[in-house]
Amino acid sequence: MKKSSIMMLTLITALTVTACSSNNGGNNGTAGNNAAPGAAESSNTAAANKESEQPPAEKVEISISSWGAPDERKVFEAVLDEFQKANPNIKVKFIHIPNDYTTKMNTMIAGNSAPDVVFTSDGDFPRWVKQGAFLDITQYVEASDKLDLNDMWEGGLNRYRYDGKITGTGSYYALPKDIGPTVMYYNKTIFDKLGVPYPSAETPMNWEQALEMWKKLTVDENGDGKTDIYGAGPIWWEGFVWGNSGAVLSEDRKQFTLNETAAADAMQFIYDLTNTHKVVPDSRALQSMNDGQMFEAGKLATITGGRWMVPTYRKLKFDWDVAPIPSNNGSWTNGWSGSVGLGVNAKSKHPEAAFKLVEFFSGIEGQTKMTELGFQIPNFKSMSDDEVYTQPGQKPEHSEVFIKAGEGQQAGTWTYLPNSKWLDTLNQNLSKFWTGKESAVDFFTKLKPQVEKNLKEGNPELFQ
Amino acid sequence: MSANTVKPAKKKSLYRSEMWWGFLFIAPPFIGVLVFLLYPFVNSLYMSFTTFNFGQPADFTGVANYKRALTNDPLVWKTLWNTFYAALGVPVSMIVSLIIALLLDRKLRGRNFFRMMFFLPTICSMVALAMIWQWIFNADFGLLNYYLSELGLNPPAWLVDEKWAMFAIIIQGVWGGMGVSIILYLAALGNVPSSLYEAATVDGAGGWNKFIHITVPGISPVTFFVLITSLIGALQDFPRFQLLTGGGPNYSTTTIVYYLYTIAFEYSEMGYASAIAWFIGIIIMFVILINFLLSKRWVHYN
Repeated sequence: MKKSSIMMLTLITALTVTACSSNNGGNNGTAGNNAAPGAAESSNTAAANKESEQPPAEKVEISISSWGAPDERKVFEAVLDEFQKANPNIKVKFIHIPNDYTTKMNTMIAGNSAPDVVFTSDGDFPRWVKQGAFLDITQYVEASDKLDLNDMWEGGLNRYRYDGKITGTGSYYALPKDIGPTVMYYNKTIFDKLGVPYPSAETPMNWEQALEMWKKLTVDENGDGKTDIYGAGPIWWEGFVWGNSGAVLSEDRKQFTLNETAAADAMQFIYDLTNTHKVVPDSRALQSMNDGQMFEAGKLATITGGRWMVPTYRKLKFDWDVAPIPSNNGSWTNGWSGSVGLGVNAKSKHPEAAFKLVEFFSGIEGQTKMTELGFQIPNFKSMSDDEVYTQPGQKPEHSEVFIKAGEGQQAGTWTYLPNSKWLDTLNQNLSKFWTGKESAVDFFTKLKPQVEKNLKEGNPELFQ
Repeated sequence: MSANTVKPAKKKSLYRSEMWWGFLFIAPPFIGVLVFLLYPFVNSLYMSFTTFNFGQPADFTGVANYKRALTNDPLVWKTLWNTFYAALGVPVSMIVSLIIALLLDRKLRGRNFFRMMFFLPTICSMVALAMIWQWIFNADFGLLNYYLSELGLNPPAWLVDEKWAMFAIIIQGVWGGMGVSIILYLAALGNVPSSLYEAATVDGAGGWNKFIHITVPGISPVTFFVLITSLIGALQDFPRFQLLTGGGPNYSTTTIVYYLYTIAFEYSEMGYASAIAWFIGIIIMFVILINFLLSKRWVHYN
């Protein structure tokens, strides 16, 4: 009797132990991340106020995941609080996944345990949408009275569309939480010291003008034969290709076009900046100090960077401002913008409540809150003159450069297709090109079959 | 009499209840192996014959994945070659470990301190070590290149040079992998009977002869153990490569398991990744098998 009861107990313990551990595996990181405790209380009062207008709806709980540093998390939680105040019958559970977000979300999506609202970088989006992780929210988006699609940046919206083969067109599967365009930051102190005029904030310079400026900014101060200040940081090559009317892939994304004249000229120009004109540090020089560190240390006169660098650079001791990235055809498609989106889990039990949250983040309420932080530009064109965004008195002086860039810039190459092996192949070979001796046309013509093979193998639906 | 008749029955029931206890106690690891090892094992074998890529339904495509890996994906062969190249670090690491173990086996001052120092890399976080080695291998300001240029050499840009990146990672691997081997060798050296050395001394054998004819055969089982475990480790290694070079430049430091990881978790081609995993598994099995067969010639138990 005694013995068997002990045995039962052991068995039960063993079972619970295994059950517990599997549970932990599934809900990794959920514990203790509940939305602020005050939320429930305030939502009750809000509910009482509204009771006369609306019949009390059933209370639902939805979950949302995100990564982010502590200060971003705070803003995020504040937005969630506001959302719950405005929607008293929706309770939001916040799952914070600070590290290794993509890997964890991969597992959660595969195991059908992903949250109702899934945070996604624009690079992860194509893969997850192909896996069927996101709900088609086109109907909700079109019916929404909070989202004026004409007032939103096209580049931000389109990267979260998918037509079953490629991204950029088709149905909406997510909405941008933010859009982070890229610009040329410049160190005013270096410009002043060397007597070089500041670049225009209105129009991008062409390559010739840019090269001339960078040459003047590249100096060997102590005459030891080593460059002390470089004119420019590493060039973000995609923008130069687009700014010369070239393309990385063909419109239908079936062909690799970096070897065609316009694109190859751009790649050759970038190659020459480092190897012939030596106004950009080579990979060897960058190994000891990366470009960001070099800019902060006053060893780079200009650097390409996104809006998200503003909070960091506001702490710099020297004076700086922003200007458009040079573009040979004068267009503002001179770089890519980064973005994070929010989609509704295709398996969510409360898709309407989940979409409401997405709408809130993407809409005016959420945008106002998040723009204050300075990491992004607002989703809405009409908000770009607002002081919430311009933040008068704070650097940069010409913050309208970001707005123009946001309007003209495209999504990065990593958002093009669900399978990105073609891009990995390209990137792995790029280092060989930058340090090699082959001309751009030759190099990319040779690479073309390999990249196109990857395109075909990784994205068979494209060729059907 | 009666006691005699009762006894077997009692023994039997005791045996039985003990048996159940036994099963109960082996249940956790057994269930663990079943659920977390055997099931994924069989499942991945099945997946390797399909186009499974997470969310979407898996179509059965026969040996298509294997065919693609063996005949239509040059990266498989390139990364396999890289893996074996990287595994060259294993014999080097073993020889260096043995030399250090021999030195540490003597009664020298601060012996424990040195033992600790050599073991330290083993317990350090790989991420921290990778950061340190990135600095050591730095082309212009790195410690290594500083000393090499003092010697009047013109050192390469190690980790960003396609020709030298793997060599640099091997150096790091030799250094990082020594700790455990040294400990094992130290234990083995202590187990070689001293009577053999005494007998050899009486017969007039020198230090080298004693090392070759007594020490080496005496520690051969441990050498074999270290060889097999390091070899398996080396053939499956990849976090170091990911941290130090990200597999570049131009895939020169992508090992096959790293490539497998990329296929599975970045391209989500689980079916194809499973096929490559089985391919690697079979190769490793063969390498180990060959070693076991060869071991009969040089490993001396007792």
